[in-house]
Amino acid sequence: MKRYALRQVVQLAVVIVGISMLAFAILHVIGDPVTLLLPQNAGKDEYARYNTLLGLDKPIYVQYWKFASRAAQGDFGKSWYADTPAFKLVLERMPPTLYLTTAGLVTALLIALPLGILAALKRHSFVDSLCTMVAVAGQAMPIFWLGIMLIIIFAVQLRLLPASGYGTWRHFLMPAFTLGAFLAPITMRLVRSGVIEIMNMEYIKTARAKGLAERLVVIKHAFRNACIPVITVLGLQFGQLLGGAVITETVFAWPGVATLTVDAIRNQDFPVVQCAVVLLALIIVTVNFLVDMIVGLIDPRIRVGA
Amino acid sequence: MRRSLATGLLAILALALVPPAGAQTREETLIYSLQSDIDNWDPPNSVLREAIILGYHVYDHLAVRDLKTRRVGPNLATSWTNIDDTTWEVKLRQGVKFHDGTPFTSRDVKATFDRVLDPTKKMTARGNHAKIKAVDIIDDHTVRFRTDGPYPLFVERLTAQVMQSDKVIREKGHEWMQENPVGTGPYKLVKWNRKQEHQLVRNDDYWGPKPAFKHLRIRIIPEKATEIAELLSGGVDIIKAVPPDQMDVINKSGQARTGTSPILRTAMLQLDQASRSGPNPFTDRRVRQAANLAVDNDAIIKFVLNGLGDRVATGVNPMAFGWDPGLKPYKQDLAQAKKLLAEAGYPQGVDVLFNEGPPIVEPAIQQTNDAIIADMTKAGFRVKRNYIGDNTVLVARIKDGKAGSMFNWSWGYYSVFDADAILFDVFKCGENYSYYCNPALDDLIIQGRSTLDQKKRTEVYVKAQKLLFDDAAYLYKWGLRGVWGISNRIEYQAPADEVDRMFLVTPKKK
Repeated sequence: MKRYALRQVVQLAVVIVGISMLAFAILHVIGDPVTLLLPQNAGKDEYARYNTLLGLDKPIYVQYWKFASRAAQGDFGKSWYADTPAFKLVLERMPPTLYLTTAGLVTALLIALPLGILAALKRHSFVDSLCTMVAVAGQAMPIFWLGIMLIIIFAVQLRLLPASGYGTWRHFLMPAFTLGAFLAPITMRLVRSGVIEIMNMEYIKTARAKGLAERLVVIKHAFRNACIPVITVLGLQFGQLLGGAVITETVFAWPGVATLTVDAIRNQDFPVVQCAVVLLALIIVTVNFLVDMIVGLIDPRIRVGA
Repeated sequence: MRRSLATGLLAILALALVPPAGAQTREETLIYSLQSDIDNWDPPNSVLREAIILGYHVYDHLAVRDLKTRRVGPNLATSWTNIDDTTWEVKLRQGVKFHDGTPFTSRDVKATFDRVLDPTKKMTARGNHAKIKAVDIIDDHTVRFRTDGPYPLFVERLTAQVMQSDKVIREKGHEWMQENPVGTGPYKLVKWNRKQEHQLVRNDDYWGPKPAFKHLRIRIIPEKATEIAELLSGGVDIIKAVPPDQMDVINKSGQARTGTSPILRTAMLQLDQASRSGPNPFTDRRVRQAANLAVDNDAIIKFVLNGLGDRVATGVNPMAFGWDPGLKPYKQDLAQAKKLLAEAGYPQGVDVLFNEGPPIVEPAIQQTNDAIIADMTKAGFRVKRNYIGDNTVLVARIKDGKAGSMFNWSWGYYSVFDADAILFDVFKCGENYSYYCNPALDDLIIQGRSTLDQKKRTEVYVKAQKLLFDDAAYLYKWGLRGVWGISNRIEYQAPADEVDRMFLVTPKKK
């Protein structure tokens, strides 16, 4: 297990360096940053001054090294728009998004696991069709539509929950459900097909032959193995979930990092974009690392094979 | 290992599900919503309308506009007189204190303007006050402003500058001021959660009438549908920029109502008379007149905008100083429009390009554009439409002289209720946002801003408007009206200058 973990850590480091290079490149591929920064009527002198000021006259590897070593200390420069360090801006907005995505993930699992297993065990029955219908409907519903419908029903009509905002557990329910509903269908279908496949395996027959109760067969033998693809996909879907968070955050006025990033892109606020890209990528990479670890724990073949 | 991993995961989940809490009594709290947040709490360092609005709550200005008469009256300044053409003497209110307890004196006025006018500070508001050369302290409560030539907009512009503290500027500095406002205003800032919420509390030492609500929360809700849902469910008390098609939903809810007010903003289609984007049919006056005669703007206001517009004869808004009530707008006359096009050499009609903007500033812009083009087509214009979805892109192209022969444009006067505030920026030769150039008009614009004699200025602007109308500089549309959503628990008057003042809101009488 230790060797397996070590290999994963090395891979992690390589990916992080790659991401920092990409983030560094953002500023350079979209055009000349000095032209972007300066007003239309700026003269040549001013151009040259800014070029030196930003260090753009130095060779590219020197520039990258400066960027990377500063970034490692959390210094991405000041936001061009808000007059505040980019790192501070991004960090402030990180927890709401992490809360939201985690809650969305949990909601998705709470929906997907029971329904998926049920659908697999009662294959081709009415229950199975019902679950499939729920999945298709969930996948077909755009996030913003579902979000606004929930607001109209639970906030405007029933007055049970606050329509938007951030602060208490009551603010949490609708955004978490909205995001969870976005991820649940695909997860549910995976659970269903995984369980169906495994239920036909030899070792399940063995388990049944030795007289285990059906409940134990499903929970101890089938489910654990069906988990592996589900966990892997959830890890991969985490990035998708951040994409969904942009819309969820906008609809529910949720002060997260996803909307901050999109705003920063729109405002061409590059320090913030770079900082957000690096930190979000770090989170995604870490989540995937954890997924690999968990999968390794569940399935010995994976860590031994590695 | 497995168990500790599971415990760890559970701990993370538990943390995730218990976000920080914050509570307040709804009765004494007023909640106002904005679609986007400010960039800093230093109003002269921001170009945003939201910064102006929030600035009114924590800071005071030397002069303010009376919303009923729309005239500028005293505030932190009690009076002003011009000693000669280039000197204004301003008397200051006594007994006013900043939130940190220091008294407000002429030193603060000087420090505020010195900071804004210092070119090295690069403050956004500098352009607004560039005519001011210096501020001299006469005594603790008297200052003199020296201007670069006669400056008729001096008093108007006093409403556009918040008074900041000399002590804070000296001791705390620029950086600190970006997030920590110390003003003399009716509310104090308690907490700012960026892009989420501002929490303010009443300044109980305020020199003027104290606000009715002790707590003021300003929430940032980017999505309009959510904003309206919040209003209807009682989560928010005031929202602005309600789309015309949502007015019924709000008015029939029993929870809230809409309020409208004409606002200081005129909409038009700019025509490239100055051929900044290259040769085009609109360089010919007859073609521009034909465009104005083709469109039935009265019908568009009535049927497309639900009456939310006020017809104008030129770009000058009826609320601006210098507006000529005697000048009547173009009336639709398709036969005359066709005749003029034929005279201009287009008997078979003419092709024009139209760059359309997104629905950010003007409500229902898409629908009104459809109607305008339908009318122009009847007169013989073949309009090629090009939609530009991002307003910043459209504005950048306009500035660069690449906006094409015809494009959407509206102008908010920087909230200065004076004809000069649109004529100079939008009609003068060579200005960034002007696609019109006529030396005769430029003469009038310069005359209008070079004298303090208001009667003479009025005469000049009457002439200027006549010229703009006859020459059909642009395709003139209407003055906009703003729509607010207002909770039934409060009383609120929609403001003509687009500056919401929460300190004027009172609970509804039962």
